[in-house]
Amino acid sequence: MKKFKIGGSLILLVLALFLPQILTNYHLLVLNNTIIYFISALGICMLLGMCGQMSFSAVSFMGLAGFLTAQFSKTYHIHTLLAGVLAIVVTGLVANLIGKALMRLEGSYFTFASIGIVSIFSTLFLNWKWLCSSADGISGVPKLNLFFMTVKDRNQWYYVLLVAAICCGLFVERIRRTHLGRAAASVRDNAIVASTLGVDVYKTKVICFTIASTLAAVSGVMLVYHNSYAVESMFTYDMSVSFTLMVMLGGVNSTLGTLLGSFLMTLLPEALRSFQQYLRLLYGIGIILLMIFMPMGLAGVVESLTAKWRKHLKLKGKGRNNE
Amino acid sequence: MLVSFLQLTASGLAVGMIYALMAVGLVLLVRAVGTMNFAQGDLLTLGAFVAYWLSVQLGLSLAGTVIGAILIFAIFGVLFMLTVFWPVRKSSWPQAITICTIGASTIIKNSMTLIWGSRALNIPPILPGSVQICGVYLEKQYFVIIGVAALIIWGVFLLFDKLYCGRIMQAAAQDKYAATIMGIPTFITIAVTFMIVMCIVGIGGYLVAPLFVVSTSLSRLQLRAFAGVVIGGFGNLKGAVIGSIAVGLIESYSSYVTTTYKDAVVFLLLLMVLVLKPSGLFGNRISDKA
Repeated sequence: MKKFKIGGSLILLVLALFLPQILTNYHLLVLNNTIIYFISALGICMLLGMCGQMSFSAVSFMGLAGFLTAQFSKTYHIHTLLAGVLAIVVTGLVANLIGKALMRLEGSYFTFASIGIVSIFSTLFLNWKWLCSSADGISGVPKLNLFFMTVKDRNQWYYVLLVAAICCGLFVERIRRTHLGRAAASVRDNAIVASTLGVDVYKTKVICFTIASTLAAVSGVMLVYHNSYAVESMFTYDMSVSFTLMVMLGGVNSTLGTLLGSFLMTLLPEALRSFQQYLRLLYGIGIILLMIFMPMGLAGVVESLTAKWRKHLKLKGKGRNNE
Repeated sequence: MLVSFLQLTASGLAVGMIYALMAVGLVLLVRAVGTMNFAQGDLLTLGAFVAYWLSVQLGLSLAGTVIGAILIFAIFGVLFMLTVFWPVRKSSWPQAITICTIGASTIIKNSMTLIWGSRALNIPPILPGSVQICGVYLEKQYFVIIGVAALIIWGVFLLFDKLYCGRIMQAAAQDKYAATIMGIPTFITIAVTFMIVMCIVGIGGYLVAPLFVVSTSLSRLQLRAFAGVVIGGFGNLKGAVIGSIAVGLIESYSSYVTTTYKDAVVFLLLLMVLVLKPSGLFGNRISDKA
């Protein structure tokens, strides 16, 4: 099984490396956006799937990091890479403070408060002159400079994003197997039992929230450098709902599932262009059907199918032994 | 100074009452099915649109509008419960219901846009005109809102604290299994709870629509109602009402200081309450259920 997994990921990687050769420029743009959203969705995957807390504030931290990078690199002429890192660190600190306040809330109260955060930040993104220059946002953000190269076209961006996404994916997979990951899982499954076993529930939630927001910040920085502008309409509540959908469609607690979900959610609007008007309505119906028929997403369906299959094979094998 | 103070107090109180109606609905649903309803603001908007349809498009009288609206709300409440709550009530994943309400919010919002268009509509107030108090002109609609909302909230208190059927609903909300054993039909009680909530919120929408415009942007008010619930203390009806009115007044008075950051003021207050007194101002003393 392990060999199969390694082989599978190698094939995927090789495919991913050669993908830009086949795609048109427009499709490459869609693909790049998908990867950027995937990084943000990973944060939600971590917070929702691992820790069981549903938050919609990812988009705010994306926006905060994005606007900060734009300001640092354009107005203050800080080196672009440094500006990005600085923005991510500042956003992480802000997220930590906000997390400390919000995590005092239980379950769906927390979710509601996170929507409040989205509305505060979108007011700031429209009105705070120091952060956003004007309501039309900031345009002409300089190109990302990685010391040895300047990332210019979409083709180069694709590879940069691919590396970033793989790093973030491995990072989240790694956390899943550490003390923090297991503590988070216990908080998700039963907070009271977790606290009797010595897990600091509040602290675990705050750390998970901070990491998730930092991932969102990374994707925000990437988004702003990639599009070379930042405007409030890039970071709306609808966007946040889409992220949550990506995670739920793929499977709340699965990194690969999140990747699949991000692809489906970004490619679907492209495919359903003629139904543009009904798109969000269909999303809504989709969410409810998803919750009723496959609450664990596509990954959950695959898992239960393979489990069934294995059981079936085992039974067959046993039968043969008996003969 | 006095003029603007009176005006701000009246509008703050009226809007606060609307938040209180939504907050009461939220608390009732939290008690009944244990989840926050993320479609609350869209139910309010639906109320406004239904009122617009009945009173402006069909041209019914006030009595006709109210009776027709309540009928539609009751039916829609049951429909809402059957789609959002009933299929996932036994789901192994507790977030499922919450997510379903988010899905419902998207569906309701977009259906309304498809039916009534995205243009903002106007609805005439129930009592047009204004009265003069101490040299200040105050719209009569403010007093209609305050009066009707107070009446509804009083009715809910009476229903849940004093009447037998309210106790049944509370029992079904606290422990469904035990309630079923005692012979309480949980399906009907939960359905009735949804009906009542939809009626309260829908009437709230009808009341508030003349102050603003009838459009899907009305659903943003649900965040204020939520803030009221948290400030008042979770799951506490009286606290939710007082918290919501406080939110309405603070939001109204905040225009002395700033108009651009009105949203932010309410949520900063919310964050402050969370940091200083996490259980809310009137937090109840029921601890977590294991």
